[in-house]
Amino acid sequence: MSIDSYRFLDFASRQVMKAWAARQERGVIPFTPLAKPLRECTIALVSTAGIARNDDQPFDQERERRDPWWGDPSFRMIPLGTTEEDVRVYHMHIDPRFGQADLDVVLPMRRLSELAHAGIVGQPAYRHYSLMGYILDPTVLVEKTAPAIADEMRADDVDAVALVPA
Amino acid sequence: MIPELTRGVGVPRLVGISYPMGRPLGRPHDADGQRAVLRGMLELLTAAQGPDTYIELPFVWPESPAQARNASKDLPPAPIVELLTKKPWLLVNLYNGRIPHEASAA
Repeated sequence: MSIDSYRFLDFASRQVMKAWAARQERGVIPFTPLAKPLRECTIALVSTAGIARNDDQPFDQERERRDPWWGDPSFRMIPLGTTEEDVRVYHMHIDPRFGQADLDVVLPMRRLSELAHAGIVGQPAYRHYSLMGYILDPTVLVEKTAPAIADEMRADDVDAVALVPA
Repeated sequence: MIPELTRGVGVPRLVGISYPMGRPLGRPHDADGQRAVLRGMLELLTAAQGPDTYIELPFVWPESPAQARNASKDLPPAPIVELLTKKPWLLVNLYNGRIPHEASAA
Protein backbone atom coordinates (compact mmCIF):
# COMPACT_ATOMS: atom_id res chain seq x y z
CA MET A 1 0.00 0.00 0.00
CA SER A 2 1.45 3.32 -1.00
CA ILE A 3 -1.21 5.38 0.76
CA ASP A 4 0.15 6.91 3.94
CA SER A 5 -2.29 9.06 5.83
CA TYR A 6 -0.55 8.13 9.07
CA ARG A 7 1.69 11.08 8.31
CA PHE A 8 -1.23 13.38 9.13
CA LEU A 9 -1.45 11.87 12.63
CA ASP A 10 0.59 12.43 15.76
CA PHE A 11 3.06 9.73 16.75
CA ALA A 12 0.98 8.10 19.51
CA SER A 13 -2.20 7.82 17.39
CA ARG A 14 -0.13 6.38 14.56
CA GLN A 15 1.34 3.64 16.77
CA VAL A 16 -2.01 2.75 18.29
CA MET A 17 -3.71 2.48 14.87
CA LYS A 18 -0.90 0.35 13.46
CA ALA A 19 -1.18 -2.01 16.43
CA TRP A 20 -4.97 -2.27 15.98
CA ALA A 21 -4.63 -2.87 12.25
CA ALA A 22 -2.10 -5.66 12.81
CA ARG A 23 -4.44 -7.41 15.24
CA GLN A 24 -7.59 -7.50 13.08
CA GLU A 25 -8.91 -10.93 12.17
CA ARG A 26 -10.85 -10.68 8.96
CA GLY A 27 -12.59 -14.01 8.55
CA VAL A 28 -14.59 -14.51 5.35
CA ILE A 29 -14.92 -11.28 3.38
CA PRO A 30 -18.35 -10.89 1.76
CA PHE A 31 -18.73 -9.89 -1.85
CA THR A 32 -21.89 -9.22 -3.81
CA PRO A 33 -21.41 -8.22 -7.46
CA LEU A 34 -23.56 -5.33 -8.64
CA ALA A 35 -26.82 -6.76 -9.98
CA LYS A 36 -27.23 -4.00 -12.55
CA PRO A 37 -25.21 -1.23 -14.17
CA LEU A 38 -23.97 1.52 -11.84
CA ARG A 39 -25.97 4.09 -13.82
CA GLU A 40 -29.16 2.32 -12.67
CA CYS A 41 -28.20 1.86 -9.03
CA THR A 42 -29.64 3.65 -6.01
CA ILE A 43 -26.71 4.64 -3.79
CA ALA A 44 -26.68 5.36 -0.06
CA LEU A 45 -23.87 6.93 1.96
CA VAL A 46 -22.69 6.20 5.48
CA SER A 47 -20.38 8.64 7.24
CA THR A 48 -18.52 7.93 10.48
CA ALA A 49 -18.17 11.63 11.31
CA GLY A 50 -20.88 11.45 14.00
CA ILE A 51 -23.34 13.71 12.17
CA ALA A 52 -26.78 14.36 13.65
CA ARG A 53 -29.47 16.73 12.48
CA ASN A 54 -30.24 19.61 14.80
CA ASP A 55 -33.81 18.31 15.15
CA ASP A 56 -32.52 14.84 16.10
CA GLN A 57 -30.88 13.46 19.25
CA PRO A 58 -27.18 14.42 19.47
CA PHE A 59 -24.49 11.73 19.66
CA ASP A 60 -23.66 11.20 23.33
CA GLN A 61 -20.52 13.24 23.94
CA GLU A 62 -21.18 13.51 27.69
CA ARG A 63 -20.97 9.79 28.27
CA GLU A 64 -17.76 9.58 26.27
CA ARG A 65 -16.32 12.38 28.41
CA ARG A 66 -17.25 10.42 31.54
CA ASP A 67 -15.92 7.16 30.07
CA PRO A 68 -13.33 7.87 27.35
CA TRP A 69 -13.16 4.14 26.45
CA TRP A 70 -16.78 4.32 25.28
CA GLY A 71 -18.06 5.57 21.93
CA ASP A 72 -21.73 6.08 21.01
CA PRO A 73 -22.75 3.03 18.91
CA SER A 74 -26.08 4.42 17.68
CA PHE A 75 -26.82 5.79 14.21
CA ARG A 76 -28.57 8.84 12.80
CA MET A 77 -30.56 9.08 9.62
CA ILE A 78 -29.67 11.99 7.35
CA PRO A 79 -32.30 12.66 4.68
CA LEU A 80 -31.16 13.73 1.23
CA GLY A 81 -31.19 17.53 1.02
CA THR A 82 -29.81 17.99 4.54
CA THR A 83 -27.04 20.59 4.53
CA GLU A 84 -24.37 21.82 6.94
CA GLU A 85 -26.96 24.34 8.21
CA ASP A 86 -29.10 21.48 9.55
CA VAL A 87 -26.52 19.35 11.36
CA ARG A 88 -23.73 19.17 13.89
CA VAL A 89 -20.64 16.97 13.70
CA TYR A 90 -20.18 15.29 17.10
CA HIS A 91 -17.00 13.27 16.51
CA MET A 92 -14.44 14.46 19.08
CA HIS A 93 -11.39 12.81 17.48
CA ILE A 94 -11.44 14.75 14.23
CA ASP A 95 -11.68 18.44 13.48
CA PRO A 96 -15.45 18.86 12.99
CA ARG A 97 -15.14 22.32 11.45
CA PHE A 98 -14.39 21.13 7.92
CA GLY A 99 -17.55 19.01 7.74
CA GLN A 100 -19.57 21.74 9.42
CA ALA A 101 -18.37 24.29 6.87
CA ASP A 102 -19.28 21.96 3.99
CA LEU A 103 -21.13 18.74 4.74
CA ASP A 104 -19.93 17.16 1.49
CA VAL A 105 -16.43 16.92 3.01
CA VAL A 106 -17.75 14.05 5.15
CA LEU A 107 -21.15 13.11 3.66
CA PRO A 108 -21.14 13.92 -0.07
CA MET A 109 -24.88 13.93 -0.79
CA ARG A 110 -24.70 16.91 -3.19
CA ARG A 111 -21.79 15.33 -5.07
CA LEU A 112 -23.77 12.08 -5.30
CA SER A 113 -26.77 13.96 -6.75
CA GLU A 114 -24.46 15.56 -9.31
CA LEU A 115 -23.08 12.16 -10.32
CA ALA A 116 -26.68 10.97 -10.75
CA HIS A 117 -27.48 13.98 -12.97
CA ALA A 118 -24.36 13.20 -15.00
CA GLY A 119 -25.59 9.64 -15.53
CA ILE A 120 -22.73 7.98 -13.62
CA VAL A 121 -25.03 6.50 -10.96
CA GLY A 122 -28.80 5.94 -10.93
CA GLN A 123 -30.00 8.04 -8.03
CA PRO A 124 -29.11 8.97 -4.48
CA ALA A 125 -31.16 7.20 -1.80
CA TYR A 126 -33.65 9.38 0.08
CA ARG A 127 -31.97 8.55 3.36
CA HIS A 128 -28.28 8.42 4.30
CA TYR A 129 -26.67 7.59 7.63
CA SER A 130 -24.05 8.59 10.13
CA LEU A 131 -22.21 6.73 12.86
CA MET A 132 -19.64 7.76 15.43
CA GLY A 133 -16.20 6.82 14.15
CA TYR A 134 -14.66 6.38 17.60
CA ILE A 135 -15.94 3.05 18.90
CA LEU A 136 -13.26 0.88 20.49
CA ASP A 137 -15.60 -2.02 21.24
CA PRO A 138 -17.69 -2.59 18.10
CA THR A 139 -20.01 -5.29 19.55
CA VAL A 140 -23.21 -3.20 19.57
CA LEU A 141 -22.28 -1.59 16.27
CA VAL A 142 -21.85 -4.95 14.56
CA GLU A 143 -24.71 -6.83 16.21
CA LYS A 144 -27.42 -4.15 16.40
CA THR A 145 -26.63 -0.90 14.62
CA ALA A 146 -25.35 -2.19 11.27
CA PRO A 147 -28.24 -4.67 10.77
CA ALA A 148 -30.74 -1.91 11.66
CA ILE A 149 -29.23 0.39 9.02
CA ALA A 150 -29.24 -2.45 6.47
CA ASP A 151 -32.98 -2.98 7.12
CA GLU A 152 -33.68 0.70 6.43
CA MET A 153 -31.62 0.54 3.26
CA ARG A 154 -33.50 -2.51 2.02
CA ALA A 155 -36.77 -0.67 2.62
CA ASP A 156 -35.44 2.12 0.39
CA ASP A 157 -34.34 -0.32 -2.36
CA VAL A 158 -30.70 0.72 -2.02
CA ASP A 159 -28.45 -1.19 -4.43
CA ALA A 160 -25.02 -0.15 -3.15
CA VAL A 161 -23.50 1.76 -0.27
CA ALA A 162 -20.40 3.91 0.00
CA LEU A 163 -18.90 3.94 3.51
CA VAL A 164 -17.08 7.19 4.14
CA PRO A 165 -14.68 7.06 7.09
CA ALA A 166 -13.95 10.34 8.78
CA MET B 1 -7.43 7.15 4.75
CA ILE B 2 -5.89 4.47 6.94
CA PRO B 3 -6.42 1.61 4.48
CA GLU B 4 -4.68 -1.07 6.49
CA LEU B 5 -7.05 -0.42 9.39
CA THR B 6 -10.11 -0.51 7.13
CA ARG B 7 -8.82 -3.54 5.26
CA GLY B 8 -8.46 -5.34 8.57
CA VAL B 9 -12.22 -5.02 9.06
CA GLY B 10 -12.76 -7.12 5.92
CA VAL B 11 -14.66 -4.73 3.65
CA PRO B 12 -15.46 -6.14 0.17
CA ARG B 13 -14.01 -3.18 -1.72
CA LEU B 14 -11.63 -0.53 -0.44
CA VAL B 15 -10.45 2.78 -1.86
CA GLY B 16 -7.34 4.34 -0.35
CA ILE B 17 -6.60 8.05 -0.36
CA SER B 18 -3.81 10.09 1.25
CA TYR B 19 -6.04 12.72 2.82
CA PRO B 20 -6.08 13.79 6.48
CA MET B 21 -8.70 12.53 8.92
CA GLY B 22 -11.83 14.65 9.04
CA ARG B 23 -11.57 15.54 5.34
CA PRO B 24 -12.09 12.28 3.45
CA LEU B 25 -13.62 13.90 0.35
CA GLY B 26 -11.25 16.85 0.28
CA ARG B 27 -11.30 20.51 1.16
CA PRO B 28 -14.53 22.38 1.96
CA HIS B 29 -16.13 23.94 -1.11
CA ASP B 30 -13.87 22.07 -3.54
CA ALA B 31 -16.81 20.50 -5.37
CA ASP B 32 -14.76 19.23 -8.32
CA GLY B 33 -12.21 17.54 -6.08
CA GLN B 34 -14.91 15.99 -3.88
CA ARG B 35 -16.82 14.71 -6.91
CA ALA B 36 -13.68 13.08 -8.30
CA VAL B 37 -13.09 11.25 -5.02
CA LEU B 38 -16.69 10.03 -4.78
CA ARG B 39 -16.67 8.97 -8.41
CA GLY B 40 -13.45 7.03 -7.84
CA MET B 41 -15.12 5.22 -4.94
CA LEU B 42 -18.32 4.39 -6.80
CA GLU B 43 -16.60 3.16 -9.94
CA LEU B 44 -14.93 0.44 -7.90
CA LEU B 45 -18.41 -1.05 -7.45
CA THR B 46 -18.29 -2.08 -11.10
CA ALA B 47 -14.55 -2.63 -11.45
CA ALA B 48 -14.08 -5.01 -8.50
CA GLN B 49 -14.21 -8.66 -9.53
CA GLY B 50 -14.00 -10.22 -6.07
CA PRO B 51 -13.69 -9.57 -2.34
CA ASP B 52 -10.83 -7.59 -0.79
CA THR B 53 -10.30 -5.49 -3.91
CA TYR B 54 -8.13 -2.48 -3.09
CA ILE B 55 -7.39 0.52 -5.26
CA GLU B 56 -5.68 3.82 -4.50
CA LEU B 57 -6.79 7.21 -5.75
CA PRO B 58 -3.92 9.34 -7.04
CA PHE B 59 -5.05 12.64 -5.50
CA VAL B 60 -2.46 14.58 -3.50
CA TRP B 61 -3.36 16.65 -0.43
CA PRO B 62 -2.36 20.26 -1.11
CA GLU B 63 -0.81 20.89 2.31
CA SER B 64 2.10 19.29 4.14
CA PRO B 65 1.20 16.97 7.06
CA ALA B 66 2.43 19.65 9.47
CA GLN B 67 0.19 22.27 7.89
CA ALA B 68 -2.78 19.90 7.97
CA ARG B 69 -2.17 19.12 11.67
CA ASN B 70 -1.63 22.78 12.55
CA ALA B 71 -5.06 23.70 11.18
CA SER B 72 -6.58 21.75 14.08
CA LYS B 73 -4.13 22.36 16.91
CA ASP B 74 -6.50 24.74 18.73
CA LEU B 75 -9.08 21.96 19.26
CA PRO B 76 -9.52 20.47 22.73
CA PRO B 77 -8.01 16.97 23.01
CA ALA B 78 -10.35 13.97 22.70
CA PRO B 79 -11.42 12.52 26.07
CA ILE B 80 -9.19 9.44 25.66
CA VAL B 81 -6.19 11.67 24.92
CA GLU B 82 -6.92 13.74 28.01
CA LEU B 83 -7.20 10.58 30.13
CA LEU B 84 -3.97 9.11 28.78
CA THR B 85 -2.14 12.37 29.37
CA LYS B 86 -3.16 12.16 33.02
CA LYS B 87 -2.63 8.39 33.29
CA PRO B 88 -0.02 7.48 30.68
CA TRP B 89 0.34 3.93 32.01
CA LEU B 90 -3.12 3.20 30.52
CA LEU B 91 -1.74 3.75 27.02
CA VAL B 92 -0.58 0.12 26.94
CA ASN B 93 -4.23 -0.96 27.32
CA LEU B 94 -5.30 1.13 24.35
CA TYR B 95 -2.35 -0.11 22.33
CA ASN B 96 -3.19 -3.73 23.11
CA GLY B 97 -6.95 -3.28 22.62
CA ARG B 98 -7.82 -3.98 26.26
CA ILE B 99 -10.98 -1.96 26.66
CA PRO B 100 -12.38 -1.78 30.22
CA HIS B 101 -16.03 -2.79 29.79
CA GLU B 102 -17.07 -2.24 33.38
CA ALA B 103 -16.15 1.43 33.17
CA SER B 104 -19.00 1.84 30.69
CA ALA B 105 -21.58 1.23 33.38
CA ALA B 106 -20.56 4.39 35.25
